[in-house]
Order: sequence, then structure tokens, then C-alpha cells
Amino acid sequence: MDRPPPINPFSSTIPPSTITLATRTHTQPPFQITSRKLPILKAGPIEAMSSRLGIPLPEMIFGDNLVSVTHPSSGWSISFGAEGALDTVDKTGEGGMLRVAYAREWSSSREKTSAGISEVVRPFDWSYSAAYKGDEVKAGDGRGLEERQGGEGEGIPVELLKRRDPILFADEVVLYESELDDNGISVMSVKVRVMEQRMLLLCRLFMRLDGVVVRVRDTRVYVDFTKEMVVREYAAREDKFDNVKRNLYMSGMMPDAITIALRDSNQVANLLPVVGHSLESVCLAGKS
Amino acid sequence: MSDLDRAIAQLRACRPIPEAEVRELCHKARELLIEEGNVVTVNAPVTICGDIHGQFHDLMELFRVGGDVPDTNYLFMGDFVDRGFYSLETFLLLLCLKVRYPDRMTLIRGNHESRQITTVYGFYDECLRKYGSANVWRYCCDVFDYLALGAIVLGASNTLPSTSGQTESSANSDEVEIEVHNSDGQIISRFLRQKDVDRGRINSTPTNGNSTPVTNGATSSPSPTRTAAKNNNRTPTLTGPPGSGASSSSAGSVGNPSGAVLCVHGGLSPLIENVDKIRLLDRKQEVPHEGAMCDLLWSDPDEIDGWGLSPRGAGFLFGADIVQVFNRRNNLGLIARAHQLVMEGFKEMFDASIVTVWSAPNYCYRCGNVAALLELTEDESGMGVLARSNGEVNRSDGGMGTGGVGGGGGRPGGGGAGQRGGGLLDDDLPPRRPGPARRYRVFQAAPQDSRGMPAKKPVADYFL
Repeated sequence: MDRPPPINPFSSTIPPSTITLATRTHTQPPFQITSRKLPILKAGPIEAMSSRLGIPLPEMIFGDNLVSVTHPSSGWSISFGAEGALDTVDKTGEGGMLRVAYAREWSSSREKTSAGISEVVRPFDWSYSAAYKGDEVKAGDGRGLEERQGGEGEGIPVELLKRRDPILFADEVVLYESELDDNGISVMSVKVRVMEQRMLLLCRLFMRLDGVVVRVRDTRVYVDFTKEMVVREYAAREDKFDNVKRNLYMSGMMPDAITIALRDSNQVANLLPVVGHSLESVCLAGKS
Repeated sequence: MSDLDRAIAQLRACRPIPEAEVRELCHKARELLIEEGNVVTVNAPVTICGDIHGQFHDLMELFRVGGDVPDTNYLFMGDFVDRGFYSLETFLLLLCLKVRYPDRMTLIRGNHESRQITTVYGFYDECLRKYGSANVWRYCCDVFDYLALGAIVLGASNTLPSTSGQTESSANSDEVEIEVHNSDGQIISRFLRQKDVDRGRINSTPTNGNSTPVTNGATSSPSPTRTAAKNNNRTPTLTGPPGSGASSSSAGSVGNPSGAVLCVHGGLSPLIENVDKIRLLDRKQEVPHEGAMCDLLWSDPDEIDGWGLSPRGAGFLFGADIVQVFNRRNNLGLIARAHQLVMEGFKEMFDASIVTVWSAPNYCYRCGNVAALLELTEDESGMGVLARSNGEVNRSDGGMGTGGVGGGGGRPGGGGAGQRGGGLLDDDLPPRRPGPARRYRVFQAAPQDSRGMPAKKPVADYFL
């Protein structure tokens, strides 16, 4: 039984060799796809990131994880990482703060006993509902993703993606996860699959605040390798927790199955109404 | 007895025991636990563990690193179940060991030992899956209601004995305050106790080759200037032998060289100004959404002044001043708690007045974090030794009358940020007790092949 070598739990910087080992790169000309999976950050890097962002971080922060798509010949790239994602979280709480389901019960019982303790420590969006579309680096000649109206042929070709073309490269990478103090879950993760002619990347925020609300925020990046065309589609979905539960029940699920379904973003995403949407694209072919 | 030993052997192999045996076990456990007070008294030496969360194979690794039961005296600070795949085997094994060796095993309640939380986070589903009915879950939840809310550790030494063969300069061995070991027992780093100023702070001198700054992970003390200013404001130096200035210990053990250690899952409550208040709670119920019992299992320390409300709209956060006043009022040297994932397995805060211990390595099978356990050694002066009590005996009869020491104005909840100065309180409070010497053993997740299941390979997923 081979045991892993003893590690120094206090080393804060990851040795370059570990980074290299944890990084996978796949080249599908003219694009390159990279993913990296490493453990959650140590205390030192967490504090540093927290002070850069100005908010406390989720308990599980995979700050070294990464998924990126690059087009080396033009210099264009898009990457997905924890810090970029958390930078899109509301840091002041001014956008309206969520409250856990029993907050009213909790605070009313406290009125007599905890007078004087009323100050909310550092208001911010503690549900980590990031609206994250990835971090784009424009091409050397300035070309980058631009808003489209979503007309014929401009969106992501779902039918082509349903074909069972062989997958040449695939990965799933978590960027951060919070248990919301056992009030639900907030998880940001990235999935990617590369086929011979095209690829799809899905960066999804799944946030379920028990008894209150369910959110799914999806950013899809579609690349056509032949046309050298990149499409980015963002869709925010949201509904009240009770509505989601009712809809699952109406679909014929038993209560125990509903509890399990509520943990699975794939089972609830399509039940949620779309509350925000955008479509962008860029063509990186030629012109060099 | 032999039935119990057989059950232990079966559970150690990670095989559930029949429903009828679970029922019998839970019945026996309840009879045992009902005799324990809300705050159990435990004598050092003791090994303190944080969250386990159903990671059975990692619990086996913990026993390998920390020593087996009953050779090692264990104190688990709750959150045995949920999230991991083997909550059932984990909790039943711990419970069997509790029933088999009641004086070598202390279990206190975490916020996951609750009906409501276990229905959401996995334990309920696991019981249903493994038994086909919710009966076993119900038996276990009935035991949860009887678990103690905290523990007081007495008789812990404030120095670590020299570990022969490993110490380079044994001259310093009696000054060692903190040692960190890896899972093979090798010392990763050690820190000397600083005698005069800033006693108990972890920024003392490392004595071996490891030059990694200690503040990186082992502790997250507030900014040094702020801490120093506070110390000047209060007790700049601790004079005389530990304990000599104190009126008497809440633990009633005269001569105990370091302060007692309070172990609790979450943290403090504005409704609890001394340990005796915890003893008065009616704990035999589902964890409520409000009140002192809820706070003890849910609250978190934070870098704030006084008390604060969590932005989530429920739950308290408490700052360094709250911990320091509480420890002095109760003659505590340290608070040990669990509840929060810390990447290095343990994290000391607020001048080492409180420590978070986390014992679930590679949490949720994907975080890649290490875990730790905290060993407190026995004071060898022989003065602090008491028979184990279940909490109701020997408690606080040493002159620590409720409210008598802290001074009437010392309600920690009363001031919020106004507590900051604390000058008035300082005059009334006993001086700060030094914390016990602490040996942390840091360990990683059990090797994959010990789990009896293949490594999860992601299959090609035609997601859209």
C-alpha cells in the first residue's frame, strides 16, 4: 500500500512542477484548451485573495483551478478561474441581501436578549451568486466578443452538439463552493468537451438557498474550429424555492426524490424561468 | 459485551450492523449519555478531533495517526455525519466505542447532529438506502438529542514532554508550546513559549529547519500592531507562576498549571457569559433555530470587535475581545472548536485563545485539504488530576459563583463594539491563563485503495 509522501501543510506556494502535473492541455488547431485541477487554497493565499477582492471567500476555494481556451495565432483567449468569478459577486450587499429561511424567526427571538448586537458584519452577497462570463483577452488586432441579436445561425448550434461525436478531451473543474452555513449550496464549476470539429464549455453557478430561492447562471462558450468562430451565451435562471419544489412534485416525483433532485443542477435548471440572457460572438479567422 | 465487540469489529470493516442491533446500541447509548452533563469534564491526556462528516476511511486513518481506542482518550467535537458516503458506519462505530469505553470516548454534538440538517445533507438518504427504512435514522437522531453540548478538559500540561530521539536541543524541550507533527510522527515545526510578552502567541521562534512563517496557516492573528496595543491595554506581562494570580479555577483543580480548555462545536453565545450557564440549558431536544444552544453549535469567530450578526441573517460572529474576556472570566486557557473547514487542519486565532480543529481530510473527497487532531498532554506535576466526572460533580464549586467574578457589568452581549476597550472588565477579571501546550498531528486522506472503491473516473459527458 503506497502512501503519499509527507507534505508540508504550511507551504503556501505550489511548486511549478505540481502546477505542470496538474495542468492538461489539448491542441485542436487552431485552438488550444487547457484545464487545471488542484486542492483548495491554503490560508495565506486565501487571505491575500480575500483582501484583493474585499469579501470573505467561500469555504472551498479552488483558486489554482483554471479552464481556458486560446487562439494562439491571434492572441485571443478566454479563461475561467475562481478569482475572476468572485470578482463579479456583489461586494456591498446594496443589490439587496438574501436572508436564510429562518432569519425572521431567528432575529425576532433575539430582540430581547441581544439588544445592541444589530450590526451586520461586512454586508455582501454571501450567496456568491456571481454573474461570471469568463475573463476575455482580446486578439492582438482588437477583435473580441461582441453582442449579437440572436438571429438565425448566430446562437449555439444545439443539434450539432447533440451528435455523439467522439470526445477528444473533457474535464470538469470546480472553481468554488460554499455550503452557505448549511443553508443550501453555491457552486461554480466549469465543464468542457472537445470534439473534432467543435467544442463546448459550460461555466455554471448553481445556488440553492433552502426555503428561499434557486439560481442557475450558465455561460456557454461554443467554438467552431473550422470557421474559427467563438460564440458566448449567458443565461440567468431563477425561481422561488417553493415553486421549484412544486414543479418537481408536479413532474411526478416522490418527496425523497425531490430532496435529491434539488441537489442536482441538471434536474432543476430547465424548470427555472430565464431572467437574463446575452449572446456574443467573434470570428478569429484569417486577417493576419 | 462480546456482542458489542463483534459489532465494533464489523463496523471497523465498514459493514453496517443489523437494524435490531442499532436499536439496542442506541438504547444503551442514550442511557449512558443521559447521565452526562451538558458540559462533560475530561482529564488530560486527551486527543481532540473536529468534523468527520461520514468519511469513514479517514476516521480509520485518524485512529492510525492518533492511536487506537481505548489506548488514546478521544474527544470528538461533533459533525460525525452528512456529506461523506459512510455517515452511518462512522457514527455507529463512534457510538459503539462510546458504549464500550465510556471513559475513553467523549462525543459532543455538532450542528449536523440534527433531524432537519441530516434530511438535507445525506445521512437520512444513506440510512434509507442501506436499510430500506428510516428507522435507523430515527434511532440515531434520538441519540443526537442526548449528546453533550461541550466539554471541559482539565489537567493539561503547559509544556510538551521532550520526544526522545527527535529533539535536537533538549534544553529547550520544556519551553515548547506547540508542536506540529506529520502523520508519520515526524515533527514538522515547533514553537517555543514566549515567557514575558505576548504569551501564547504563535509567532514565537521555530526551532527546526522549517523556516516557513508560522502565520501562514498555523495561525491567523490579527494585525500585530493591533494585538500589541491590546495587550498593552490589558495585561502587559503575566507575572508569577501560572495560576498564582487567579482566585480559583472554574474547574476546581488547584495547581492546574494551565487554564482549562473548553471544547464546543461552534463557538460562544451572547447568552452565555460563563460555563455554568451552559450546564443549565435543557439540551434534550432537536437543535433549535434560536437561543444559546443554537449559538454554541453554529457561531463562528471572526476578525471583528465584539459581537456581530452574520450577513446571512441568522448566526453570530464573535471577536477576539469576546473570547479573551470569556476565557479570563472562566479561567480558561483555550477554547477548542470545529465547524469550519481550515485548509491546514487547524487554525489558531486571537492570540491563541481559540483554535479551530478540522479532522476531515480531502473534505467531500475533492478539497485536497489536510486534517488535524489536537493532543493535550497530561500535567505531570500530579496536582491537576481528578477522576473523570460526568459534569455534575465537582463543577464550579471552587468559588466561581455565577456572575460573581465577571462583575455585574460584564455581560458580553451588552456592549457590542463598546466592548472594545474593556478596561473596566480587566480590573475585575482574573488574569489570563496560559494555554496548554498543543501537539497537532496533521494527516491526509486515507489512500484510495483502502476505500474499497475504484477512483472515480469522469466519463464522457455529452452535456449541453
